[in-house]
Amino acid sequence: MSDFLVELGANPTASNLIKRLGLPLPMPQRLDRGKGPWPERPLEGRTVVVGAAVDQVQCFDVLAPALAEAGAAPFVQGPTGGAWSAAAEAWGRPVTPLEPGACPEGRIDALVFDATGAATVDDLRALFHFVQPRIGQLAKHGRVVLIGRDPAETTSLATGAARRSLLGFVKSLAKEIGGKGATANVITVAKGREAALAPTLRWLLSPRSAFVTGQELALRSKVKAPTTVPTTRPLEGKVVLVTGAARGIGEATAQALSREGAHVLCLDRPADAEPLAAVARAVGGTPVLADVTAPDAAATILAAAEAQGGLDVIVHNAGVTRDKTLAKMDDARWDLTLDINLRAVLELTEALAPHLREGGRVIALSSVAGIAGNFGQVNYTTSKAGVIGFVETAAPKLAKQGITVNGIAPGFIETRLTAAIPVATREAGRRLSALAQGGQPIDIAEAVTFLATPGSWGLSGTVLRVCGGAFLGA
Amino acid sequence: MNSSRPRAVVVDGVRTPFVRSFGAFLDLDAIELGKLAVAALLDQTGLDRTLVDAVVWGGVVLPAGAPNVGREIALDLKLPPSAEAYTVTRACASGLQAVTNAVAAVERGEADVIIAGGADSTSNAAITLPPTFVRKVGPVAMSGKSSVQDYFRLLFELDPVRDLIPSKPAIAERSTGELMGESCERMAERNAISREAQDAFAAASHHKAAAAIASGRFDREVAAVTVGRGTRIYRDELVRPDTSVEKLAKLRPAFRRGGTLTAGNSSALTDGAAAVLIMREDVARALGFTPKAAFRSWAYVGVDPADQLLMGPAIAMPKALERAGMQLGDASLVDIHEAFAAQVLSVLKMLGSKAFAEQRLGRSAAVGEVDPGRLNVHGGSVSLGHPFGATGARMVTTMANELALGKAETAVLGICAAGGLGAAAVMEAV
Repeated sequence: MSDFLVELGANPTASNLIKRLGLPLPMPQRLDRGKGPWPERPLEGRTVVVGAAVDQVQCFDVLAPALAEAGAAPFVQGPTGGAWSAAAEAWGRPVTPLEPGACPEGRIDALVFDATGAATVDDLRALFHFVQPRIGQLAKHGRVVLIGRDPAETTSLATGAARRSLLGFVKSLAKEIGGKGATANVITVAKGREAALAPTLRWLLSPRSAFVTGQELALRSKVKAPTTVPTTRPLEGKVVLVTGAARGIGEATAQALSREGAHVLCLDRPADAEPLAAVARAVGGTPVLADVTAPDAAATILAAAEAQGGLDVIVHNAGVTRDKTLAKMDDARWDLTLDINLRAVLELTEALAPHLREGGRVIALSSVAGIAGNFGQVNYTTSKAGVIGFVETAAPKLAKQGITVNGIAPGFIETRLTAAIPVATREAGRRLSALAQGGQPIDIAEAVTFLATPGSWGLSGTVLRVCGGAFLGA
Repeated sequence: MNSSRPRAVVVDGVRTPFVRSFGAFLDLDAIELGKLAVAALLDQTGLDRTLVDAVVWGGVVLPAGAPNVGREIALDLKLPPSAEAYTVTRACASGLQAVTNAVAAVERGEADVIIAGGADSTSNAAITLPPTFVRKVGPVAMSGKSSVQDYFRLLFELDPVRDLIPSKPAIAERSTGELMGESCERMAERNAISREAQDAFAAASHHKAAAAIASGRFDREVAAVTVGRGTRIYRDELVRPDTSVEKLAKLRPAFRRGGTLTAGNSSALTDGAAAVLIMREDVARALGFTPKAAFRSWAYVGVDPADQLLMGPAIAMPKALERAGMQLGDASLVDIHEAFAAQVLSVLKMLGSKAFAEQRLGRSAAVGEVDPGRLNVHGGSVSLGHPFGATGARMVTTMANELALGKAETAVLGICAAGGLGAAAVMEAV
């Protein structure tokens, strides 16, 4: 599924011509999604600028070793002693101090601002003064990441306001820098969850988060931190179930998971046996033929998992649309959509969760439509909003078992389903986003993969939008 | 150690002088150099050669026609045919690998007397024709049915540029394509090792080696050899007694414009060989030998070659020390292979860093500072030269003699090697 404007923009002659003629065409930047498995040092050779308003520094102890281990030799505005000099020594990544407002030479690949201490409206000016002079130098595919605290953890009006305002900052900034394929996001860190910051930041700064922009990733899960967090082949030894794996997002997800070391149980309905077998063969996984709504589905899955020694991760990806306006909606459309998209998620989780091994993960696909609504999709959006409710309710319940539960809300993704949408609607869906293009199945697959890894332990009960900064429901 | 297990000891060690590649040893390949060292060892110890159970040899640039250098040495020197032999290759740690393999074999009861060592001759590195040449010419040349026309057709098929220009040998990492000096330039930068510090380290290395030669300290471990038409080579030729920080400061960077590594603070391409006699302790004593040293432990590690290629010793040395139940401060002597002054200084910085220990080794305290007076007391590869496979055996020999001379109780060795490998060993006096 190709996007004509992305292709055109990638052709220097064409894009130059369009710019010169002043044609009112958006020129979306072809996204850099990374290649191959997660690298050991994704930030090697990258220009990373880190800052915090002085006396607001709370996360430098985590940031310094995380960035050095990822291969960055960062430029730091603020105190560079302590954690920075220790990390520089341990990893051989010297830190360059940066005056307020000063820029390193050349393009900046990432701007990271520790706003965890932001407590007043004045503190927000420090953020403005950190980003503003440097944003012009942000490279193509660049990253802006703000780190804040959970607004729910304060009773101070000013602090609550300051904390929440970070999201507004990145929402607009995402739209301003989306043209160069760059993204802006916030990580909010609950007290005591600081250690979860490193793997989350590493993923957000990597090309694997290319279609995530204008979002908040809230680290406030109640699960215990894993003893080790692998940075490469993070899913080694894990057995992962992916429902609806025969094609589209499910297929891409199976590929990405297996690329990072997982054994994938590829599930789809018996009618899709052929494409499913091909996917399972390609990823070295196990094909599981079952209808997610069938009463014996869980037993079939458990038997397949048993053969691999157990089950670690459930990815609820199977889903259908049966569009009609509510006035014309019949029982069959309603029931099929609700049964597959929501009931199966609930029932399979209930049946499988007790069997998950330590560090289990449940990931369910919702949809931006489930947040924003869509004409002719009352049944679909009801089911997808229900998934969000499931995620929010299941997370605290399963935390005791060390299982995290998260949702992913894809925006406009180039698949068989979206290719069937009429041209005008399709174009609107693609362009009305910060990145001005549709996502690829791999973008969802990468987000699922991250949520499946041990390093995502800080996230639970959240719904991550992978939507390119879609204007809908934002 | 389990007391019922036999202990292996270093009885003696001898090496050829080390000379610059393409110099006096030009005509000698690794086998010939190895024979010189082993013959000198047999000569110096007066060992009954029928007692030799095995030869374990280390090498990096192996002769293509006879890669089992150890066996060729044994056969050429008329050791008994029963003296089995093999050859190990672990880049610059090959010599140490040969020695620790021999020690392990003796301590497991597989053998009583083993000659271990290593040799390399960069002067005799094979220059290979492109594989496309081999694939085109091979079928015609190997077939009995090839006609004259086939050979003529072949002449037209060969591309003079692609098929005939041989590849230039270089010390480049296969996985990254980076020259070792380029990798070390990055290490110097990342660990903030200055040009001045490197030059000072290199000058000290030369001065210590020169002093060891002048005092006769090396006479017990360097054997004069005869080459060509009776030319005698008595001593190491790369050592410059008269060098100074000022002189070294004038050299140009060798690997990168604006870099800090020069020919003066890097080890040179060198030809040479070293051999060590390893025996079961009671056998050695029964034969009337006075053992010089034994091994408490060793460790081999690997790191990502694309990261800090030569940092291996900073991981391997703490590991070997831990296995020996020791701290770095307990070791009377420290001997670190000097591939480059910058690499030794980087490793020393890591060993002395608390942050490195915490974040890389999972330890709460730094491995330790190394007192310069205990480090590489008679110089190292920067001054003496570095025939890849021989260096480990040279270091074992020098340390064994220090321990035998009663100057030290224990010594810890550290070697970095291509491929991101690191090696370390702890030796003790007996």
